[in-house]
Amino acid sequence: MSRTPTLRTVGLTKSYGSVEALVNVSIELFSGEVVALVGDNGAGKSTLVKCVSGSIFPSSGEIFLEGKKVEFRNPGDARSAGVETVYQQLALVDTFDIPGNIYLGRELKKRGLRGLLGVLDRKAMRAAALKSIEDFGARFPDLYAAVETMSGGQRQVVAMTRGAHWGKNLLLLDEPTAALGVRESKSVLEIIEKFRNQGDKSILIISHNMDHVWQVCDRILVLRRGHLVADLRKSDTTKSDVVAYITGAHEA
Amino acid sequence: MPKLKISGLQARLLVLIILVVYNAIFTPYFWGVDNLTNILVNGSVVGIIACAMTLLLVARQIDISVGAAVGLSASVFVVVAESRSLWIGLAFGFLAALFVALVNIVSIVYFRVESIIVTLAGLIVFRGLSKVVLDGRSVTVDGFDFIGVERLNLFGLIQIPYPILIFAAVLLFFYWMMRNTKYGNQMYAIGANPGSARLTGINLEGQVAKAFILMAFAVFLAMITSVSMVGMASPTSGERLEFLALTAVILGGVGLAGGRGTVIGTLVAVLILAVVDNALVLSGVQAFWQEVARGSLLLLAVIFDQVSRKRDKSVRMEI
Repeated sequence: MSRTPTLRTVGLTKSYGSVEALVNVSIELFSGEVVALVGDNGAGKSTLVKCVSGSIFPSSGEIFLEGKKVEFRNPGDARSAGVETVYQQLALVDTFDIPGNIYLGRELKKRGLRGLLGVLDRKAMRAAALKSIEDFGARFPDLYAAVETMSGGQRQVVAMTRGAHWGKNLLLLDEPTAALGVRESKSVLEIIEKFRNQGDKSILIISHNMDHVWQVCDRILVLRRGHLVADLRKSDTTKSDVVAYITGAHEA
Repeated sequence: MPKLKISGLQARLLVLIILVVYNAIFTPYFWGVDNLTNILVNGSVVGIIACAMTLLLVARQIDISVGAAVGLSASVFVVVAESRSLWIGLAFGFLAALFVALVNIVSIVYFRVESIIVTLAGLIVFRGLSKVVLDGRSVTVDGFDFIGVERLNLFGLIQIPYPILIFAAVLLFFYWMMRNTKYGNQMYAIGANPGSARLTGINLEGQVAKAFILMAFAVFLAMITSVSMVGMASPTSGERLEFLALTAVILGGVGLAGGRGTVIGTLVAVLILAVVDNALVLSGVQAFWQEVARGSLLLLAVIFDQVSRKRDKSVRMEI
């Protein structure tokens, strides 16, 4: 059976001068899959995700989305192609409320003359934001409070909801559960589940937390010193096996 | 016990009201339609510039070349008007304002130099240029005093001087634009979290460039207003306008960190400055002391900004 992968990278390499952050990495992600990207600090996880999200441009190699070759020059390119990224630093504007953050940079304008003048349609943005918040089961004490008044966990859930709201086929998550409380982690994992269940969507998660990885993912990719050293189905492996690949105890 | 809570804007309004009431009681000739109108007229030129400056500071940019830009625009206008005609002069005056904006945009957006450094250089360069254009003279312009002298008669009830009308129109435009449009929204985002704005696909450079273009329009309108009021341009036209506008914007609550504040706050601050200025003149305070007072107001505004921001932070950490 041959399916077109949602995401395929071929020989992705990124070097900074003589330092090679990513070496010849080829991966495939299929629709409906949640794939974890694990590895030690400096293994190249963030570099890989940044290449796919358009933040950095690979030195060589190719990226295919739904079988079509893409070249992202900036995060905007990736986003309009349907690749949504939830950054570790969240990329929220502290003084804006939740709908304002979900529609940040993609604000809706009113129809007609007022739209031509650039007038915002706050009502429509709020309604659509509210629907996504409900769809993905997020809960907030106050939708219209500035996100600077929220806890780190709630802010993470805001960023996750934004990613799920816009992600057309691929969602990239950079450490979505780092430094979160139990309840918020649960909320984040729930959004991941609900997003996957919408069908023909895939998720790539960078995570250090092996328990969370095990809870939601189908497959695990291990990076070590810029190289892809393992591509394991969760059902065929164990946590300690994965850790062995991460630390280099298993040589690939 | 219920605590009395007042917002920053309310606090500023309170200061303005106290100043007006105090001067109405203790300063001779302060209270009266003529003098109050005078205060508004005198605040108008600063106010026009301060509106555009509010937008810049909201996005963490600054333009301290505005005074020199008004000077250059004014000198080009009067010199061309002297040898050609009023209309051609006005067209060239506008081009001069656009030229300043273009230099700022190229240096800030294209070469990525901090706006405070670029416009500091501009402050010197354009002031020098305007002296070159005027050849060090003061040049009068004929037939262009209606903005400064005439008044709009509203149903025979009230007469409004044109500078106030122009300021009001500029203020309304910026108020509406910053509050309701996608552009205004993105400028607040850029000022609050530039990194987040970039990651979410906002074109920081393009949006900031537009703000400098809007500043060029404000410079042009301020130039027309001030030249018309005095009937001439001199090598000192527009001097210290950058300082007065900045004082107003910071005192008005935008602050140097960006991402917050409105032109309404700026309006209140412009009025505070104009009232203080007027009261000092009416009380016969020596001109040198007036300078001390203006400078101290800027210092106070910056300190107030710093203190209120620290207080905000401490509240946030408790949550």
